[in-house]
Amino acid sequence: MLNGNHSSSFISFLRRTSTYLILLVILVWFALLSPEFLTVGNLLTIALQTSLVALVAIGMTLTIITGGIDLSVGSVAALSGALAAGLATRGGLGTYPGLLIGLLTGLGMGFLNGAMIVWGRIPPFVATLASMAIARGLTLVYTQGRPIAGLDKTFTFWGGQGALGIPVPVWVLIVVAFLAYFLLKHTPLGLHIYAVGGGEETTRLAGVNVGLVKFSVYLISGLCAALSGLILTARLWSAQPNIGVGLELDAIAAAVLGGTSLAGGVGGIPGTLAGAFIIGVLSNGLNLLEMPSYNQQVVKGMVFILAVMLDYFIKQRQAKPKGNPAD
Amino acid sequence: MTEIAIPRLKLEHIYKSFPGVQAVSDVSLNVYGHQILALVGENGAGKSTLMNIVNGVVPLDSGKIYLDGQLVSIPSPRRALELGITMIHQELALIPELTVGQNIFLGREPRRWGIGVDWKRLYAQAQRELDRLGIEVSAQATIADLSIAQRQLVEIAKALSYNARLIALDEPTSSLTSRETDTLFRLVRSLREEGVALIYISHRLEEVFELADRIAVMRDGHLVAVGNASEFTPAEVVRLMVGRELAEFFPKVPAKRGEPVLKAVNLKAGREVRGVSLELHRGEIVGLAGLVGSGRTNVARLLFGADRLEGGEIWFEGRQVHLRSPQDAIRLGIGLVPEDRKAQGLFAGQSVRYNAGAGLIQRLSRWGFIRFQAVNRIVRELVERLRVRTPHLNQKVRNLSGGNQQKVIIARWLGLNPRVLILDEPTRGVDVGAKAEIHALMSELAAQGMAILMISSELPEILGVSDRILVMREGRIVAELSREEATQDRIMQAATGQL
Amino acid sequence: MKRSIIYLLLAFVLVLAACTPAAQTATQAPQQGGEITLGLVISTLNNPFFVTLRDGAQKAADAAGVKLIVVDAQDDSAKMTAGIEDLINKKVSALLINPTDSDAVVPAIQKANEAGIPVFTVDRGSNGGTVVSHIASDNVAGGKMAAEFLCKAIGGKGNVVELQGIAGTSAARDRGQGFNEYMSASCKDAKIVAQQTADFNRDKGLKVFENILQAQPEIAGVFAHNDEMILGAIQAAEAAGRTGIVFVGFDAIDDAVQAVKDGKLAATVAQQPALMGQMAVETAVKYLKGEKVDASIPVPLNLVTKDTVK
Repeated sequence: MLNGNHSSSFISFLRRTSTYLILLVILVWFALLSPEFLTVGNLLTIALQTSLVALVAIGMTLTIITGGIDLSVGSVAALSGALAAGLATRGGLGTYPGLLIGLLTGLGMGFLNGAMIVWGRIPPFVATLASMAIARGLTLVYTQGRPIAGLDKTFTFWGGQGALGIPVPVWVLIVVAFLAYFLLKHTPLGLHIYAVGGGEETTRLAGVNVGLVKFSVYLISGLCAALSGLILTARLWSAQPNIGVGLELDAIAAAVLGGTSLAGGVGGIPGTLAGAFIIGVLSNGLNLLEMPSYNQQVVKGMVFILAVMLDYFIKQRQAKPKGNPAD
Repeated sequence: MTEIAIPRLKLEHIYKSFPGVQAVSDVSLNVYGHQILALVGENGAGKSTLMNIVNGVVPLDSGKIYLDGQLVSIPSPRRALELGITMIHQELALIPELTVGQNIFLGREPRRWGIGVDWKRLYAQAQRELDRLGIEVSAQATIADLSIAQRQLVEIAKALSYNARLIALDEPTSSLTSRETDTLFRLVRSLREEGVALIYISHRLEEVFELADRIAVMRDGHLVAVGNASEFTPAEVVRLMVGRELAEFFPKVPAKRGEPVLKAVNLKAGREVRGVSLELHRGEIVGLAGLVGSGRTNVARLLFGADRLEGGEIWFEGRQVHLRSPQDAIRLGIGLVPEDRKAQGLFAGQSVRYNAGAGLIQRLSRWGFIRFQAVNRIVRELVERLRVRTPHLNQKVRNLSGGNQQKVIIARWLGLNPRVLILDEPTRGVDVGAKAEIHALMSELAAQGMAILMISSELPEILGVSDRILVMREGRIVAELSREEATQDRIMQAATGQL
Repeated sequence: MKRSIIYLLLAFVLVLAACTPAAQTATQAPQQGGEITLGLVISTLNNPFFVTLRDGAQKAADAAGVKLIVVDAQDDSAKMTAGIEDLINKKVSALLINPTDSDAVVPAIQKANEAGIPVFTVDRGSNGGTVVSHIASDNVAGGKMAAEFLCKAIGGKGNVVELQGIAGTSAARDRGQGFNEYMSASCKDAKIVAQQTADFNRDKGLKVFENILQAQPEIAGVFAHNDEMILGAIQAAEAAGRTGIVFVGFDAIDDAVQAVKDGKLAATVAQQPALMGQMAVETAVKYLKGEKVDASIPVPLNLVTKDTVK
């Protein structure tokens, strides 16, 4: 291995940047093939469309880093949107109390998840699967399966155009992403989130309140889901009881594409954002390329697998010199 | 030790029982500063429980704990840390994804502006701690990138950063090379100089006698002996531990060497294996010695088809074979008892029956259905023959002691009647009694005509059990010694290249 | 290992390359000025009705020599909005939208309005924004069609029952209106003895009709606003052993067509999704060529009876 150092530093470069490289390749590809793709308007559209998944994916990333998962996000988004819209309009509370209750709903569902997982010791997959059904059911009960329309301008503002020509949801995403990044990288809670995912017992023995850490991530995930649901409601000018179906899968995909390990302990916000944008850019670009929708799903699935495999191979290669533990 | 000091830790009449077991019974023990106390005993003797009590992991039923003469209660690991009591576990308590510095300061990160972590200060402090102890590791390195030995040292740095006054080390050398062990011992001795009280738990009696000032022996939850190290001999300690005289440490039935079964010619794979040739005969036990990292495990994995061969040939009973996967090896009758039994050898959450029977299932299935009765019968026979101590076959394997776990893995292979059995560190973390039983079993199997290749880092074991000894260094076999000509010195010289 | 990374990269590029053929036509089309590209955003392509609608639209587009881009919203309002936005950025000549929801689609339609792209709604309407035309089945005509058939089948006289859909829905309103207008104007000897709602639901249809059967010893014919309700009613009649009733449904769902074949159901009114798609495209093309089009384009319906069923 004469060129050992050379190639391993290249590989380690790939490892750190693989998600971004994949995003870049896709961007360049679409830019070459579609004249409409690389316009300011279209890029803003992509950012707008991606912000919904990205918001949820940020919360999801935190739960996955602790070694958990939150399947309830899509349903929580729908429930928060429906309650906020319903209380703001038919409930007569007005926009801001409505929005506040929407956010509290997200926190409440996050609390339910946290309680089931920390106190009830139910595995996160099962607990959040249950709350996914509960939140969707509550949404349908509250809306009677029908959309709630009639939102006023203060509400729909949150889905519309914002300062500097950038849509409000994108601003919200920027703020939330920054806060989450700061939380993960610069606060004790952030370090403890990684620690719990890397070794729960070890973390407990180091004197960290592991239950509190887990509670926090599910609360944050619930809050992110609620934000996404409120923004989607504002964007559609109405609360739709069936929004967010499958949102959890997009969010998990974004996190995994971004290098978050489902085994816990590894991941980060920049990667997740890149992952969410890979998904968003693919949807937009394939529409611009006029690919029939059935084929689009196949392509998305294949790109997903390839991206994850590429990531896996790069990481495995990097880990190889240390891979054989003792001898 | 001439002056009468207040013990750093004083235990008085400690009792602890778990459902069905009196784990610790009436233990009174003093541990002094400036001293290393070796705590020895078979697995299940109560050492771990005692240490867990001192570390606040499990509550005690009754008894008193004094620290520097003060009565204390230790309800949580957190409290133990605050009191300056730390424990370095056999399973390292480091989070592989985090950096050295993050691990050292986990749970007590220096803050900035009240909410943020002050990374600069954290890494500076961590590095200072590492440097002070002469540990050559960067505080910013990720644990996953470190060797086991480096991790062990980081663990000690972490313990000391709590201003530890009492450090318990549980089998710290079980996965270290001898050079790394030396580094560790140096560190342990310098801690003693600084006045720290140390409790050293180990199965390796050589280490105990090399290091300890005092020795405490536990058996069945009781403290059966305690005194200055000079008052004991190794044989006495063993007798105290097992409660009976062990006639022979490594009983070896002389066996007739039969025809060759497995032959390797110039095996190559990466940097770890650079041309290894060896031959195993029926009825013999071949010891494969060498430092950790010399390529021993890699050779074992190549012979088992677990890794890809980059060069060389493997012959089995006179035919050249191509082992593309472990299935190929198993089909021929080659078995491997891996070194890392928790990760590679056991289904820890499954029953004894499942673990011992796992290899049989394919063979004992008819039309896709498992013939459970046949599996049960064979498993029961094996468990009896190997004297696996388990209350019943449905016991989860993770609840067995290390020695019994190892026996379960061997039982799984015996069910397949292998012609060649490769054992990688078969007695690591196994207590003395079980160790002798495993050795006896190996020699019995060899006498029945099996060819056995045993990898071990313990020279007495290699010397006691092997008919023939191969020594590896840097991917090559550098010496072949017969049982008669082998000594610890000759093996070490070959392994370290001072030949 | 290095080789496998290269293979993976290669596969990655191939997958992306799979998108190119469509792209080449895409890059040419908008540049040849005067070419028309229509965007069809459809609520779902998991339902045969809408798949047929798309096929009809595609055929009409091919016949007219215009390009049609189809986006599937997968019954998700967010995906629908995103699809519309994408097609706005794509600068299609006109948008044909089959909304998932009449409210949720409004902001997206307004965006199209701002971009100056004419919008046509198909099947389901929008509650806001500027829409050039709404192309949908003519439910009033369908109701009339059912009434005409029923009247003839019962010989112009006798007791008639109407099972209504969910109150307030446009389908229930229009179908009922057409039915009642015809009955009162052209079938004066028949008497509507019961009008009750069964919420478009088979179960409710059964229960409601059981009660009606109790109250009405003589029933000549029944019309329901959809097939689910009429199938429920048929079950109720069979259970009660009542025969000689003429049943007429609406929608021509598979079960109902089977019932027509079996002779249990006299007729059901079928929507014509292919025709709807075709008319949507034709309307948009006409409009883009400068012709005037109506704000509401009714799509004719079709009566499925024992004689016409395949």
